[in-house]
Amino acid sequence: MNNIIHNAKLYLSFLSASLKEMLIYRLDCIAGMISQLVTQLVEVIFIWITFQNTDNLAGWRFEQSLLLYGVMLISIGIVDFCFDELYEIGPKYIRNGDFDKILLRPVHPLISIIGASNEFTCLGYLALGLFITISMLIKLAIPITFFLIIKIIFFSIIGAMIIGAINTIFSIASFWTYKSNEVIWTFFRMYTFTEYPIDIYNKFIKFLITYILPFAFVAYYPTMNYLGIDKYMTYLSPLIAIIFWIIAIKIWNWALKRYRSTGN
Amino acid sequence: MPIIEVKNLLKKYKIIEKEPGMIGYFKNLIHPKYKEFTAVNNINITIEPGELVGYIGENGAGKSTTIKMLTGLLTPTSGQVIIDGLVPYEKRIENNKKIGAVFGQKTQLWWDLPVIESFRLIKKMYKIPENEYRKNLKKFTELLQLEELLEKQVKNLSLGQKMRCEIAATFLHNPKIVYLDEPTIGLDVLVKENIRKFIKDINKEKNTTVILTTHDLKDIEDVCDRIILLDKGQIIYDGEKQKFKDTFGNSITAEILLKNKKENITQKLYDEDFEIIEENEDNIKIKFSHDKTTIVKIVQILSNYGDIEDIHMKEAELEDILKEIYRGVKIC
Repeated sequence: MNNIIHNAKLYLSFLSASLKEMLIYRLDCIAGMISQLVTQLVEVIFIWITFQNTDNLAGWRFEQSLLLYGVMLISIGIVDFCFDELYEIGPKYIRNGDFDKILLRPVHPLISIIGASNEFTCLGYLALGLFITISMLIKLAIPITFFLIIKIIFFSIIGAMIIGAINTIFSIASFWTYKSNEVIWTFFRMYTFTEYPIDIYNKFIKFLITYILPFAFVAYYPTMNYLGIDKYMTYLSPLIAIIFWIIAIKIWNWALKRYRSTGN
Repeated sequence: MPIIEVKNLLKKYKIIEKEPGMIGYFKNLIHPKYKEFTAVNNINITIEPGELVGYIGENGAGKSTTIKMLTGLLTPTSGQVIIDGLVPYEKRIENNKKIGAVFGQKTQLWWDLPVIESFRLIKKMYKIPENEYRKNLKKFTELLQLEELLEKQVKNLSLGQKMRCEIAATFLHNPKIVYLDEPTIGLDVLVKENIRKFIKDINKEKNTTVILTTHDLKDIEDVCDRIILLDKGQIIYDGEKQKFKDTFGNSITAEILLKNKKENITQKLYDEDFEIIEENEDNIKIKFSHDKTTIVKIVQILSNYGDIEDIHMKEAELEDILKEIYRGVKIC
């Protein structure tokens, strides 16, 4: 337990150090935020265009789909803030030889890596996500109670943890493909499965993103809960997050061990 | 009890054998051929606490590979490493608490932050007690002249300033063992001397074991008591520095000022007992060893060729001895 507290403290120390570093480059920050906002707005326009041609998507109306999208954006914002550095393991750490540096610290390297996250730009996602979520809740006449706010905060964080765990698992590819980041990029984009209600997919994909790579717990099940359609599934998500983190750390350690026996 | 124990340590790498040309490139892509390369070949080392060891060898001799295995960054192919009772590649994080390392020009400091912020993070990482941290910080600041650097961003420091901070960061948590891989590369003489003195001081005070790899043999000459010489993955010498010099460095160079020289001596004279290294207008450089001849005899011979005005003699330095060994002089 002491160990967990020590690690958590260290994570926060690393994070605040990297945020201090980030603040030095204010302009980069603002530019990044704007570009992300624009990218996401384009996606929203696509959803709107889709609904110009049909009034429901596998039973989902426009406002409901957009609510799902907003819920997802909040989680993605948190993911980018906390786990963005996982994307950099190949180019920034392994290829540069900086990986040795963090392997020599008396801390698990994952804490050093995710603690070095300095993605401020994700505030753009977060803001847009919150705006869409709140306006759709109003539009759908869902009362915004205190309990609902707590639920949205809680499940958004849990959703981010689930994606974080999945990305951690995928990030082991960096140990072999550290020269290019294409593979990692493809894996890390898989969260886009959560942009649409999973009812539009076939049985196989539905099973895949519920049980194998549980992206469905990021936005789909929470939204079902907020809409009052499926109230209970989403309460499984904390358990799923814990299980996936245990698996992720085990797999990561295994990959690290293999990496250290080959050497570069 | 030894603090470092290495037994039959072996590391083999698999490397892809490159075939020439475009076709070879594609062949490699589809069906790569591997070749085995032995970087470290069955070495045994025992180091006691507080020793200052110079680990030397040419590029590619296997120095870095050994250090990586000692620090737990790399797992050996076979053999065993025990560092202060632990196997470093199995208990890496435990081992990390007890060691410090500097790898060439890589920095462990936070690039965009003031130096002192990095020190604070290191304090948290290693759980250094407050009073110990203050004591060390004060002493290191004095010894390495860090006073004006602490509030500066790391990226704004010069190479020498950065290395001084780096060394301080490495010793901050009172490590039992410190691995220094090329700590003085690219630094000017004053900074080098500063760092060497610091290492010696800390070693004396805290009995820190130091393993130093470097290409600057002045570092070794200055800091180390013991030398381990590695060649093609094998240890070819392990023992006291002085003994090493006595055994392999019994040759002496003499520079002799010779005026009114009549002819080229190198062409004219051949003597089995000494060797002419260099000959100029009015001086000549020779090398000899005491068990074959004496300077008096040489002077007698040379006086036939001109008027000797001055003689300057020098004992072989570590660098000369190593050059000799690398050139293929048989040893053992």
